[in-house]
Amino acid sequence: MSTMSDEHVARIIDFLRNERRAEDVSLEDVMRLAEIMAESFQSLFETLDVTIYAELGEMAHEIANMKDDLSQLRLADMRSEHIPTAGRELDAIVEATEEATNTIMSAAEEIMGADPSDHEAYQAVVNEKIIDIFQACSFQDITGQRISKVVTTLNALDVRITTLVEKLKIMKITDAPLTETEEERRKRELILHGPQFKGEGVSQDDIDAYF
Amino acid sequence: MALDTSIPVLVVDDYKTMIRIIRNLLKQLGFEDVDEASDGTEALGKMKERKYGLVISDWNMEPMTGYELLKQVRADSGLAKTPFIMVTAESKTENVIAAKKAGVNNYIVKPFNAPTLKSKIEAVFGD
Repeated sequence: MSTMSDEHVARIIDFLRNERRAEDVSLEDVMRLAEIMAESFQSLFETLDVTIYAELGEMAHEIANMKDDLSQLRLADMRSEHIPTAGRELDAIVEATEEATNTIMSAAEEIMGADPSDHEAYQAVVNEKIIDIFQACSFQDITGQRISKVVTTLNALDVRITTLVEKLKIMKITDAPLTETEEERRKRELILHGPQFKGEGVSQDDIDAYF
Repeated sequence: MALDTSIPVLVVDDYKTMIRIIRNLLKQLGFEDVDEASDGTEALGKMKERKYGLVISDWNMEPMTGYELLKQVRADSGLAKTPFIMVTAESKTENVIAAKKAGVNNYIVKPFNAPTLKSKIEAVFGD
């Protein structure tokens, strides 16, 4: 009867000692180990049973395919480029809306504070500030474009995650029980829901009925 | 009875723009003495230093929310009677009920307009 060769054992030991990335065991590590193990045991089983030998060959082939599928998902690219870019887009949107709001409010405050007794001067202030308000409203065009880019990224992420779930048949794995984080606990205890969509929260009229 | 616009008002919100909006609306209504705080902790400190005739507070702030501020105000015998209006984007029924139970005088859901703010202030003072 043949056994695993010294060379195969050495490969497994070498992988465990040196090739696996230092601290965390990744899915790639597990797949790689499975691949080496399957190849190594082939020589043992091929002498025992042709069927088992064929199964092992199939498994090795599947693992290779899965690795190929995963590489096609370009997850590293999503993590290092697309998601941080989406974050920067959202920051820019917050900044642009804040800047526009401040410009509009400053213009309104200047109109509010202008002296209406001097009709000509008052009209000049109003005209100038109205132009400022129109110009500030142009932020909507740029933020609209930025939001479209973020939506595109989210859609791409959705497709890739769905593909990954299907490829790995993750849906067959039972979800782990949810553990409430400190932030979630705070939100629950302090009743923090944030803004609701139109028509979903209570209206001012409904609220007024309580007072 | 005319609204007494000489009372000092404390506006509590972590969003500077919202403070500015409320301050301007109050100015339009005739309120000139308006102070501001960016969360419940700062507001509570200011309320212990000065007696305010009205507090207008947001709900969602850190570290102390408007809801926590309301409960602390109502639990403090020196501050308990201060009129308190919640102005917030939190528009779920449970929020309104919790605020009412904690002793809020009125509740305005964002976004709101000047007439709504005016009518709720008037309602609080019985005008």
